[in-house]
Amino acid sequence: MFSASLYIIVCSFRNRVRVRLQRLRQPRYFIGAIAGAAYLYFSFFARFRASRSSVARRGNRPSRVPGSLAAPLAVAPALGALALMIAAAGAWLFPVDSSLLEFSEAEQQFLFPAPVSRRQLLIYRIMRSQLGMLFGSAMIGIFSPPTLGVSRLRISAASWIILVTARIYFTGVTLARARLGASGRTRRVAWLPVSALAIALALVAGAVGAQWRQTPPADALAGLILIGRAADSPAARVVLLPFRALVQPLFSEWPGPYLIAIAGALAVLGTVATWVLLSDEAFQEAVSDVAERRSREPVKKGEPIYKVRSTGWTLPPTGRPETAFAWKAAMQTLRMVDKRSLLRGVIILVCLTIVAALMGQANGLASMLGAFSIAGTLFAILLAPQIVRMDMRQDLQHLELLKTWPVKASAVVRGELVWPSVIITACAWLMLAVATFLAGTMMTHVGLGLRLGGGAALAILTPALVLSQLTIHNAAALIFPAWVPLGNQRPRGLDAMGQRLIMLGATWLLLVLSLLPGAIVGGIVWFALQHFIGAAALVPAALVCTGIVAIEVLLATEALGPAYERLDVLAVERAE
Amino acid sequence: MALSVEHFGRTYATAAGSFTAVADLSFTVASGEIVGLIGPNGAGKTTTLRSLAGILRPTSGRVRIDDYDLIEHPLEAKRCLAFMPDEPHLFEYLTVMEHLRLVARLYGVTDVVDRAAALVDELQLTGKEQALPGELSRGMRQKVVIACGLVRNATTLLFDEPLTGLDPIGIRRMRSTIVARAKAGAAILLSSHLLHLVEEVCSRVIIMDRGQKVADGTFAELASRADLASAGSNLEQIFLRVTGHDAHP
Repeated sequence: MFSASLYIIVCSFRNRVRVRLQRLRQPRYFIGAIAGAAYLYFSFFARFRASRSSVARRGNRPSRVPGSLAAPLAVAPALGALALMIAAAGAWLFPVDSSLLEFSEAEQQFLFPAPVSRRQLLIYRIMRSQLGMLFGSAMIGIFSPPTLGVSRLRISAASWIILVTARIYFTGVTLARARLGASGRTRRVAWLPVSALAIALALVAGAVGAQWRQTPPADALAGLILIGRAADSPAARVVLLPFRALVQPLFSEWPGPYLIAIAGALAVLGTVATWVLLSDEAFQEAVSDVAERRSREPVKKGEPIYKVRSTGWTLPPTGRPETAFAWKAAMQTLRMVDKRSLLRGVIILVCLTIVAALMGQANGLASMLGAFSIAGTLFAILLAPQIVRMDMRQDLQHLELLKTWPVKASAVVRGELVWPSVIITACAWLMLAVATFLAGTMMTHVGLGLRLGGGAALAILTPALVLSQLTIHNAAALIFPAWVPLGNQRPRGLDAMGQRLIMLGATWLLLVLSLLPGAIVGGIVWFALQHFIGAAALVPAALVCTGIVAIEVLLATEALGPAYERLDVLAVERAE
Repeated sequence: MALSVEHFGRTYATAAGSFTAVADLSFTVASGEIVGLIGPNGAGKTTTLRSLAGILRPTSGRVRIDDYDLIEHPLEAKRCLAFMPDEPHLFEYLTVMEHLRLVARLYGVTDVVDRAAALVDELQLTGKEQALPGELSRGMRQKVVIACGLVRNATTLLFDEPLTGLDPIGIRRMRSTIVARAKAGAAILLSSHLLHLVEEVCSRVIIMDRGQKVADGTFAELASRADLASAGSNLEQIFLRVTGHDAHP
């Protein structure tokens, strides 16, 4: 089975690489790969060079840890161990299906009926997950700060042991959970790790509680250091030993201490693996359970789950086709999001805003909420049109159906834009209202007129900004369907990443260009009126700008009609 | 003629150049007629049906539906047409009833409630009106697609493997539904690999092979053709003879 497992892994990897290399023959992937490689180079490798030259400047002397970080770093291993123990306990309290027990349909079809033991299947699954974990640990190494004084390779190796141990441990929890309700010795054995963890947690919690009562911390950092010191106390050290052994290589010096720490971490990994492999009699049942749960889910993994619930909006039998498209997209939103939960969220936000405003500037709540709402407004206006894809980018998957409908092409394009622009604008307006309301508390130096005028102007501009971006994204989907990920697709690879970067840059460039005429005319209006009505001039300026952008969007949807008619279903199918 | 196809052709661009899926195909389907479109895999049946439905653009030729040219008057032509594909494409977030409402709205059907109720009963979808596609079996999803096709007054119906995924009762009902629609005056083009179904419900058959029409006529006409006389009156035998597969067991 070992050689067969290796064969599957090597073949899958080789074929994946071959497909990725083959698609570089297509210009869009080739250009995407160049853009992706350039991004990686300037983001990571340029950083390496900079850090290497900084080390050279220091004459290869180890970097000094700043004084403020010395205390937290001293307790970091204990804190890391404690975090691992909490995660280990959480796996029992909040059960999730272990990914090692998820077999693809092909694996189930070929491997399950084959004369292969459950243990061998588990080993195969562990082996198959290694590529992802190696990549993950390499990323941790790349992103790790150079101040720790250990090489990235050593951090990657230590991270890999933690990741593998965690993955196997979660599988063990899933298997053991199936036996918790058994009887006799099996039940006692299954409850053993749960009891041990509970005792260990109680011991550490007791130690932390005692120290906390003795010297209550002044701030969050002091609290963290206190918890770390408590976890470093002799009794806690004993129960945290396996967790400490796992994190220790991350904090050990090369070569002696590091190699000893690695040996300790490997011993923990070996123990966990042995525990899981010895308890494999529950494997088949656990795999069946996971498979059954997956099959009961109405959609594929990663896709949204829709629930039938009353939406309160019935499509009338007559009216414009655009409304029908908006209704369709609205149903999608309302089937994904619970209206009552949404309403509760809005009420909480409104209450928090009122409380923050009443409390005034002395309290940090107003500043925090204000900063959050400004960031939320900007996110909704500038990034949500890229993320919320309930438009042509999603419906291209249904192009075969859409093409049979007797609807004017430009009406289809317009219809696809209506609902996402409504929902994004509504979110942006809510956040903007909070920000404007709190502006009086946050920005006392800005006059009321300017605050209200600016808020109103941005509110008027929001639909224009959102619609303009959505139009650009939908135009890209119609004109270059192969460049746009459809629906919930998240294509992987350097080339796909490069494509996304190019699309993002092009979208923002087009957004600037499309706003330019409106901004110029709006600017003239503002300049002409501001002497007479002050900050309120922002409102008519925004109205003019929005009007111009609305006309542009209308013209763009008409111009995109022929593109929709020309769009070949096969181009979309190939892109998928 | 409800459906008229003249010198229709469709070519695909491939990495190696181009590939002709259908070449110079001409035929008509009159109101009340059920015509079977059969052929081996890769014969060009689905390409033909998808092009007639307005999904793929013909590379050459003309398609007229109720005298409306599909390219020149696509909206009018599509209003007269219903295409039931073999793969049920449904919106995962709309219920069965909402699918019917949406289609009715887009095709200008005002009495959707009565029509939908009748179709739900006819296609055995009772109790599934508020179900999402994810909660339905493959056969049920197929029935929803067919219900969406039948909810409007289409004069031309295109069926691509309409019985896929249906149980024996569903198959029987579907046969009756197809025949009833033809009796009501609809022109029906039905593509299927189930030759006994074609033999049972179709009054005429078109056989395609490698993108070309190789036979067109009633069963009697085909059986009396000189080159097919020895094949007998059985559609399977005729099909095998026409497509050159009769030598193989």
